[in-house]
Amino acid sequence: MKFDTPATTNPIDQLKVIGKPTDRIDGPLKTTGTAPYAYERHDVVANQAYGYVVGAAIAKGKVNAIHVLDAKAAPGVIAVITHENAGKITKGNFNTAKLLGGPEIQHYHQAIALVVADSFEQARAAAQLIRVDYERSDGKYDLAAAKDGAEKPKAGGFGGDPDTSVGDFATAFAAAPVQLDATYTTPDQTHAMMEPHATIAAWDGDKLTVWTSNQMIAWGKGDLARTLGIPKENVRLISPYIGGGFGGKLFLRADVLLAALGARVAKRPVKVALQRPLIINNTTHRPATIQRIRIGTDKDGKITAIGHESWSGDLPDGGPETAVNQTRLLYAGANRMTATRLAVLDLPEGNAMRAPGEAPGLMALEIAIDEAAEKAGIDPIEFRIRNDTQVDPEKPSRPFSQRQLNECLRLGAEKFGWSKRSATPGKVRDGDWLIGIGVAAGLRNNLVTKSAARVRLDQRGIVTVETDMTDIGTGTYTIIAQTAAEMMGVGLDKVVVTLGDSSFPVSAGSGGQWGANNSTAGVYAACVKLREAVAQKLGFNSADATFADGQVQAGNRSAALADAAREKELVGEDGIEYGDLDKKYQQSTFAGHFVEVGVDAATAEIRVRRMLAVCAAGRILNPKSARSQVIGAMTMGVGAALMEELAIDKRLGFFVNHDLAGYEVPVHADIPHQEVIFLDETDPVSSPMKAKGVGELGICGVGAAVANAIYNATGVRVRDYPITLDKLLAKMPV
Amino acid sequence: MPQASRQEIRFLLGGEVCIVRDATPTTTILSWLRDTARRTGTKEGCAEGDCGACTVLVGRIEDGNLVSEPVNACIRFLASIDGLQLETVEDLGGAHPVQRAMVEHHGSQCGFCTPGFVMSLAALKRTNPQPTEGEIDRALAGNLCRCTGYAPIVAAAMAAQPEPAHMRLDETIVAKLRALDDGTSLSFRRDGARWDSPRTTDELASLFLAFPDARLVAGATDVGLWATKLTRDLPHLIYVGAIDALRRVEQVDNTIEIGAAVTYADIEPIFDGLYPDFARLIRRIGGAQVRSVGTLAGNVANGSPIGDGSPALIALGAELVLRRGDERRALPIEEFFVAYGTQQRWPGEFIETIRVPLPAATTRYAAAKIGKRFDQDISSVCAALRFELVDGAILEPRLAFGGMDGVPRRAARAEAALQGRSFNEAAFEAAMLALDQDFSPIDDHRASASYRTRVARNLLLKFYRELAGETATRLEPDAYVHAIV
Ligand code: FES
Ligand code: FES
Repeated sequence: MKFDTPATTNPIDQLKVIGKPTDRIDGPLKTTGTAPYAYERHDVVANQAYGYVVGAAIAKGKVNAIHVLDAKAAPGVIAVITHENAGKITKGNFNTAKLLGGPEIQHYHQAIALVVADSFEQARAAAQLIRVDYERSDGKYDLAAAKDGAEKPKAGGFGGDPDTSVGDFATAFAAAPVQLDATYTTPDQTHAMMEPHATIAAWDGDKLTVWTSNQMIAWGKGDLARTLGIPKENVRLISPYIGGGFGGKLFLRADVLLAALGARVAKRPVKVALQRPLIINNTTHRPATIQRIRIGTDKDGKITAIGHESWSGDLPDGGPETAVNQTRLLYAGANRMTATRLAVLDLPEGNAMRAPGEAPGLMALEIAIDEAAEKAGIDPIEFRIRNDTQVDPEKPSRPFSQRQLNECLRLGAEKFGWSKRSATPGKVRDGDWLIGIGVAAGLRNNLVTKSAARVRLDQRGIVTVETDMTDIGTGTYTIIAQTAAEMMGVGLDKVVVTLGDSSFPVSAGSGGQWGANNSTAGVYAACVKLREAVAQKLGFNSADATFADGQVQAGNRSAALADAAREKELVGEDGIEYGDLDKKYQQSTFAGHFVEVGVDAATAEIRVRRMLAVCAAGRILNPKSARSQVIGAMTMGVGAALMEELAIDKRLGFFVNHDLAGYEVPVHADIPHQEVIFLDETDPVSSPMKAKGVGELGICGVGAAVANAIYNATGVRVRDYPITLDKLLAKMPV
Repeated sequence: MPQASRQEIRFLLGGEVCIVRDATPTTTILSWLRDTARRTGTKEGCAEGDCGACTVLVGRIEDGNLVSEPVNACIRFLASIDGLQLETVEDLGGAHPVQRAMVEHHGSQCGFCTPGFVMSLAALKRTNPQPTEGEIDRALAGNLCRCTGYAPIVAAAMAAQPEPAHMRLDETIVAKLRALDDGTSLSFRRDGARWDSPRTTDELASLFLAFPDARLVAGATDVGLWATKLTRDLPHLIYVGAIDALRRVEQVDNTIEIGAAVTYADIEPIFDGLYPDFARLIRRIGGAQVRSVGTLAGNVANGSPIGDGSPALIALGAELVLRRGDERRALPIEEFFVAYGTQQRWPGEFIETIRVPLPAATTRYAAAKIGKRFDQDISSVCAALRFELVDGAILEPRLAFGGMDGVPRRAARAEAALQGRSFNEAAFEAAMLALDQDFSPIDDHRASASYRTRVARNLLLKFYRELAGETATRLEPDAYVHAIV
């Protein structure tokens, strides 16, 4: 189905099932521990052997020799795989570094060997016996030091142009009566999803099946075939349950490749989970940034010039963190520029993590806006409202499809009690606590991408959806079931959703908060096909057939839906494909984030006390799962503001705190009451579902709202994340 | 007399007797559950005791009742639950009130953490059917969730109905546990390693004298990691947790004597009555899964510069009773720590009890830890102060810090500055200045040296204000409830 004109009224608008706060249908599987995750699929194939991954102990250089004889002779060991016996391996399209290193080593903990044994303990014990002779080369591990040598990255991908310019930024900034010019830094971060990357691989002749944990089935399948040099048709990838991803499982990773290689050499199925202490340096991470922001305004606080430059690093041929992108859209201003620069660093691969670009970009931009508002002597909410734009500021002929940022901010201010905030920082005290309130705007674009599904109707009237879409915790099973139930006029108890299998039609996958809107739109398209087949089978005119309560009705005729499939199952298969509506309109989601913090005057310990997000994100398909997405993201935003940081050993080139004790994510007691309000919105430009994503919007701006609240509490502006106690206390009055 | 010994591990799995003959001394509960028993409901998120995805309940008889505590299955050795009851998410069925509430309140997204949360909540609700939010936060401190943002889980915890009577089989379990115990002790070798669970302190003393290179374990919250993460060789483990006598806390004259196998969870309510700040500190050590097995003695024996128990005990003037064979000696706890990683302990010698003086009417005590996140954080600084307040004067001050040097130790100069002074802000200001000469801390990724120095000083001032009754705002989970609007 081609979607190239804004949606009109369609069956989804009935909102009998869609828009309801349905419990997640996979909930009971999860609370009982019976949802089958990749590593525990004992059932799918017999005789599984265990793999243990060995990571490189240097960050850059060469393996001169790898001594595996002792390991091979250890009890229970079946095979040891290294670059010497792995066969030809081609790098995947989505990978920057090779997933099996050697002889060249590109980053610390790059996999260099897999030990396969009868038991996990045997594989682990044997792995300790491998000796490696390394030749270390010098590498670059310090972004600040490499910044001046950073270059212009290639355009394309999700990145946008490395340089953008409208009007005359330099002149306008120089002439502005109010100027802000400040530099902010964000650290390297890791996804820290709870399920480690894990795979079971089994060969049947030249056909390979992997049970794995992956957000993007088609990407994973394609890259696995490419890496191994086998035809795509010979690869099947199955990933129905995923224990969190946040971007960390977008791509083929070492567990999949090594399990496949191990199974080939061992001649039996092999299961591999990346050991937790290996994950952080072995896989991808959100790269650190240095961001310079300049904002010039007139005396009334109207932005006349806005410039945002960002530097990040990655391995050779890697990509930048696109931290400037939201600045091209969020505020008005006639003169604007952005620049993105990329330095070569020999740290592990930088790549997408929840809201790549916007998450760190807004952490900087929204502090800068707070600072500019203060310089202009204007309330920060009023400042944002004054600089609102309803059109793409670079191309005024291109309106936003929907933009209710001002409404988010106004409603949030009212609900949060903004009027009680002291405009002067450091003025509110509660015992030893200094109290402050902060705000930030959030923006995350709505990306449209094609997505397909197959829908079957059987003689019992059961509707089964098949698509390679994934549920990484987001609630996909539930909203797809809601979509199919709404379209086919049946209850949720009559819908079965099967996901995450590469033998199903290719969907949008889970990433970039595009999953919900696109995958349900694909199911919508397939359901339209199935409705036609049903109507035809029943001899109804499909144009005026209505589907409700398990019945199909046209004119004065009516039949049970199941009747259409009495003789033979009916199948509808189709996908959604988009025209140029995303060129004509800018499609984005918006949020106003409000945070109250307390800071201990003596120790600078920080407590987040209250949080509120007001979101405008198109139609909310399921308020329960959407709310959960947003508060989960807000929590990750608190982590980013206050504690999450990969510490780099700048001499040896690796992330030091590479486990869940050292890399701190928020615990229960760090997180206060959180509220989420969704504005009533439908966006007919986005898809027939009129929905957009929310999962990443929830983190966009949160970090800055926390930072601004801390400033309001203490009068101390920390521009380097995370805002740890030592950075704060150092600047607090004694 | 050594007890008769037995080579197979015997425990109850969800109420049924389970006998395991093929585990090694370092086989963890988790690997046995997932790989051998094929109970895969319990998840492995880290295998390091950091995430709680592997939470199971371990039940034992205490004062005739069944007590079930949450435990990290990934770092607890299977052999250590010999004679106990093991309960996993499979044993709850699917209709447990906690499971239902978690679905209704959307307490699960990706679901990987969920069975662990369910088990922690089931344990909480058994002892505390109507928990406050602070109690819930505390009970769940050892469970990480990266998806939900926690609030829905708290809502589920508040809403869940108590466990219905028919699901509680406590009496049956107690009877079965009693039947299981024939007085034998577990002792076996497998794959070149040995395990002993002596049942009496005398047995332990002679065993350790005979095998001084063996590693003593109690909660194994550290040693478990040596096996799973550092893959160190552990050829001989002696487990002290099966010795009932070492699980006792007794009052003898003006001291309380804490056995080497007494856990943080056991001791917390006792300290809550004596030294509330110490109890607060304990509540921030690890999560419930760590506190239910980790011991004060183990924390001291480890001698970590950042262990929170040690500074608190040093300030209290606690003493260790060290035992080697039949000989015992008492040692002030601060003398136990010689240097980073080195303790005053002879081969074959172990901590039998920790003696803590009871507070007198004149005793004042304060303790606090500083970290980035509220729970499960390694302190950047931990401080504790005790003194006697006699006729308005500060006497016998004992001020100890962790995180300020290679070992936890006292601040002699600051103590001198307080000694004999009137209890007022000026005395504490003098001590704050003196503190700079006591310590020169280091920079690491947890905190900078200058932060440590300054926060150590400020903590003294905070202690003063609190002890003087001026302010009492402390970081507590419930602290955020009074918002300004
Ligand atoms: S698996 Fe993470 S605590 Fe056990
Ligand atoms: S639901 Fe995914 S980690 Fe908790």
